[in-house]
Amino acid sequence: MTAPGLVAALLADTGDTPWTARVPARLGTFLSALPTPVRTGIRAATAAVDAYAVLHSGRPLAGLTPDEREAVLASLAARPALLPALDLLKVPVLLAAATERTPAPHTATAPEDPPLDCVPAVEWPARGTADAVVVGSGAGGAVAARTLARAGLDVVVLEEGEHHTTASFGRRTPLDRFTALYRDGGATAALGNPPLLLPVGRAVGGTTVVNSGTCYRTPDHVLDRWHRHHGFHLAEDLATRLDEIERTIRVATQPLDVLGTNGLLALAGAEKLGWRAGPLRRNAPGCKGSCQCVVGCPTGAKQSVQLSVLPDAHAHGARIVTGARVRRILLDRDRPGPPRAAGVLVRRADGSELEILSPLVVVAAGALQTPPLLRRSGLGGHPRLGRNLSVHPATSIAGRFPDPVTSWSGVLQSVGIEELHDQGILIEATASPPGMSSFVLPGLGTALRRELDDADRLAVLGAMIADRPSGRVLGRERTLVRYDLDPRDGHRLLTAVRAMARVLFAAGAQEVLTGIPRAPRARTLAELDEVLSTTAARDLHLSAFHPTGTAAAGADPQRAPAGPDGRLRGVHGVLVTDASVLPSCPEVNPQLSVMATALAITENYLEADSSSPTSTAA
Amino acid sequence: MRGTTFTETMFGTVRLGTGTPVRRIRLDLRAEADELLRPHRTTRARLTGRTRVSGVADDPDSTGELEISPLARRRIRYRLSFTADGRHLTLDGWKSVTPRHPVRSMTVLPFTLYEDGARVGQGTLRFPLGTGLAPFLLGFRFPRREEPARHLAPRSDGSPGRTEVWYTTLTDPTTGTGIWLHHEVVTPADGSAPFAHGWAAAFPPEGKTLHARFGPAPWNSPTDGFTAADVTAIQGRLTGSAGAFRWDLTEQPLAAPLFTFPRWSWKRPLLPAAHMLPAARASYDGTFHDGERTLTLRAAPGASARIHGHGNARRWAWLHADLGDGAVLEVIAAVSTRPALRRLPPLVFLRLHHRGRVLPRRAERSAVGLLGLGRFRARISLPRWTVTGRTLLRRLRVEVTQPTDRTLTLDYHDPDGSPAVCHNSETADADVLLERWWGHWRTEATWTLHGTAHAEVGDR
Repeated sequence: MTAPGLVAALLADTGDTPWTARVPARLGTFLSALPTPVRTGIRAATAAVDAYAVLHSGRPLAGLTPDEREAVLASLAARPALLPALDLLKVPVLLAAATERTPAPHTATAPEDPPLDCVPAVEWPARGTADAVVVGSGAGGAVAARTLARAGLDVVVLEEGEHHTTASFGRRTPLDRFTALYRDGGATAALGNPPLLLPVGRAVGGTTVVNSGTCYRTPDHVLDRWHRHHGFHLAEDLATRLDEIERTIRVATQPLDVLGTNGLLALAGAEKLGWRAGPLRRNAPGCKGSCQCVVGCPTGAKQSVQLSVLPDAHAHGARIVTGARVRRILLDRDRPGPPRAAGVLVRRADGSELEILSPLVVVAAGALQTPPLLRRSGLGGHPRLGRNLSVHPATSIAGRFPDPVTSWSGVLQSVGIEELHDQGILIEATASPPGMSSFVLPGLGTALRRELDDADRLAVLGAMIADRPSGRVLGRERTLVRYDLDPRDGHRLLTAVRAMARVLFAAGAQEVLTGIPRAPRARTLAELDEVLSTTAARDLHLSAFHPTGTAAAGADPQRAPAGPDGRLRGVHGVLVTDASVLPSCPEVNPQLSVMATALAITENYLEADSSSPTSTAA
Repeated sequence: MRGTTFTETMFGTVRLGTGTPVRRIRLDLRAEADELLRPHRTTRARLTGRTRVSGVADDPDSTGELEISPLARRRIRYRLSFTADGRHLTLDGWKSVTPRHPVRSMTVLPFTLYEDGARVGQGTLRFPLGTGLAPFLLGFRFPRREEPARHLAPRSDGSPGRTEVWYTTLTDPTTGTGIWLHHEVVTPADGSAPFAHGWAAAFPPEGKTLHARFGPAPWNSPTDGFTAADVTAIQGRLTGSAGAFRWDLTEQPLAAPLFTFPRWSWKRPLLPAAHMLPAARASYDGTFHDGERTLTLRAAPGASARIHGHGNARRWAWLHADLGDGAVLEVIAAVSTRPALRRLPPLVFLRLHHRGRVLPRRAERSAVGLLGLGRFRARISLPRWTVTGRTLLRRLRVEVTQPTDRTLTLDYHDPDGSPAVCHNSETADADVLLERWWGHWRTEATWTLHGTAHAEVGDR
């Protein structure tokens, strides 16, 4: 049992519903999966609220009556400065509450996944060799592994997370899957002004296992910028690679039949405004609208790379080692010039180590993990390594409609509204399993309980903006992300909030929930404008989903840690093929961009390698 | 340039496939590198040795490679092929050297076993520090790596009163016939032009010894060996004729050069003469005709030698004995012609190559002992002569017999015209006894050669 008093207070538990009694235990389970600093912070905040209750009413929250708890919360809510902190405290409680209150429908039968050769690291020998080692099995790593395996190389893919099958998704609650599939239990955050929640996946398939399945091709103007401004010449021919990737992961426009009310309302609102909008293109043929993309598709419809790309790599001999955290890249320094990659040192979950020797190391650990890995390997000398971080800051609002919307029934991310895309704003109708939205319901106690009970009438829109590279990845052993929102991007976020509200009001919303703690509701656009006129971006609930650019490729050796062909500078035999190699913000959901770039880099490597018989590695 | 050799023994466990029992494994390895082991660089060595896996394998002929790079690559990698129950397995593993765990990382060797490229097992070997460190460190040797060819080039600088010899002795393993090819360049002391001459001799085990001389012929100072008239003795090839003799042989070096006299005396001719073998052992193929028979040689054991100096000794004895299994004994015992030195007993230069070591370690040791004490002693006479001596822990006795009927007597001439007589037999007998001190003298090895020793005694 964790914080039963706080849970009872926040959820206004009067003992008349059985699910509320199960929430503290569920919360405890969830907290145990979080990293120690986050867990400690939440427990400290809980203790502080309890201490306040003692000062206020003479007893901790657990010892108070419902009315007394309500009075304590009201007293706290009267202090506006505390509202953001209380909103943060609500997030884990709402996650646990949603899991108990709205159990996800059990998926009785799940299709059998294509075969993969996954070996736990504890069963992998301490010494081994390969022609190529791929660090990370996400979008970039999977494509690199498939390309190299198809070329006849003996490929080993190293994945820190575990392999989760579609059938296993159907057996577990969304919250269990959430803690298992995300790094740090989903509590990864970027420190800065304002702080951002930055969840990234950690499993065989990487973040593609937990993304929304939205597939945008890299916009032409972005490709043009990468090619002309950054000298990333592979971008010039990326269109053909995008075609191949789209075929591989079976991208198609989402049919309307399972779109869900949330998406249909977004379409209706945009149509009324005359804005460009439509169902998103997704890699989920046969999607059944389970709305669980972010915790692993339980029907196997979403073609994450562990279902689409990695099986093909496996068919060509690639093997995957799970539970394998790469400590560093091994370097041979006994030659003139830069060192040469010789393999990797891997740490197993039990603390033991294994090594794999390979003349080629493909780094695809993700934009947040690649810089620390390179630093641990003695390859962090480039001054721009870890910098140039773009994250697509995002915010969301909800609109209350007279009729039930039941946003968690239908496609999770269903409709894209591209009217403001030229201004760097992309609106996407994004629902989520109950409690898992980045949108936080307003209120405390009885008010929050009322919102919970009325949540099925809420439609949720999200917007992400093309941001300036204002972030930086620090750290060697652990990743520390620093991100300070650029003022221009702050204005974009506020513009995005207003645009989403316009869509919701146009679709018939009675009110919008702004997510701003001190002004949570607006009944008209004018009322919202008044709220926004005194609101800064830091007052919004912000999150981010697409970290890119921390080991950017480019022609300028001073500015780009990786060369224009994706080879890391200052070493032979290291390719970077994850989102970190993108030269700048892709301005759309990036999985196609990452995969096409990985394909281009590895194919270019193979072509160069075959034309240079003396060069066995980069 | 020097190479590196050392031995290493490791123990550990291995599991051949899942579900199979854990077995003990032991490696007794000998590593041989062609370059000096430099810890800050990468050194590659050949591995030979014995692999034992309890109940599965005992392969005394395992071979492989060793990559030694404790600092540059922080890795010492072993790749070893061996046979286990008829299966050809390859062990591939490496020690990952880290300064955080210097002892553990230098002594623990995790490895994987492969069969036809497929993984079939894994295990861990450990170097036993307590019992293995001292033998490991004491076993390091840094032998010179030299090309035999560079020692075949003529050394004469035209100074008068010099003689230079290329000679080859070998034994036909089929017939037991001993063969002697002698090539000599003499620069007379009177300043006249140098000339080349020599002879060939055959020593059939039964019957009369035969020989024929060639030359004298003008000497044109070739650069790669001996070439005069139709006789050549160059790297890998011996051809020529002398009287009724004809020979056309190829030579394959089988061992490193051996300096019978101190190496410095060959490099700087400060002694009256110096002797060395470009290859301590060699094998010969080809044909040799002695006027009566034609021998077809296949892998005939023998050796070529070089002499450079002022002339022949006052008295001398020489032995070259191929003892088998790579062991070679080379002995020269000589009394100088120099006024003061001629009163000394014979100086013995003895080199025994045995089990990868040379006894005594320095050539001077057998000649002058330790400050004159403990030098080796020779009793030169015919038909039997002996050499005895001891080092700190070893004792050696060599007894050579040159039966009169298998000995050829020839006249020699020094550059100043002084005569000498040699008694040579390429089918001599020899008995060699090597003992080691271990509380008392214990026999370490004995060799008995019947008709395969090459020996000579010379006198004035």
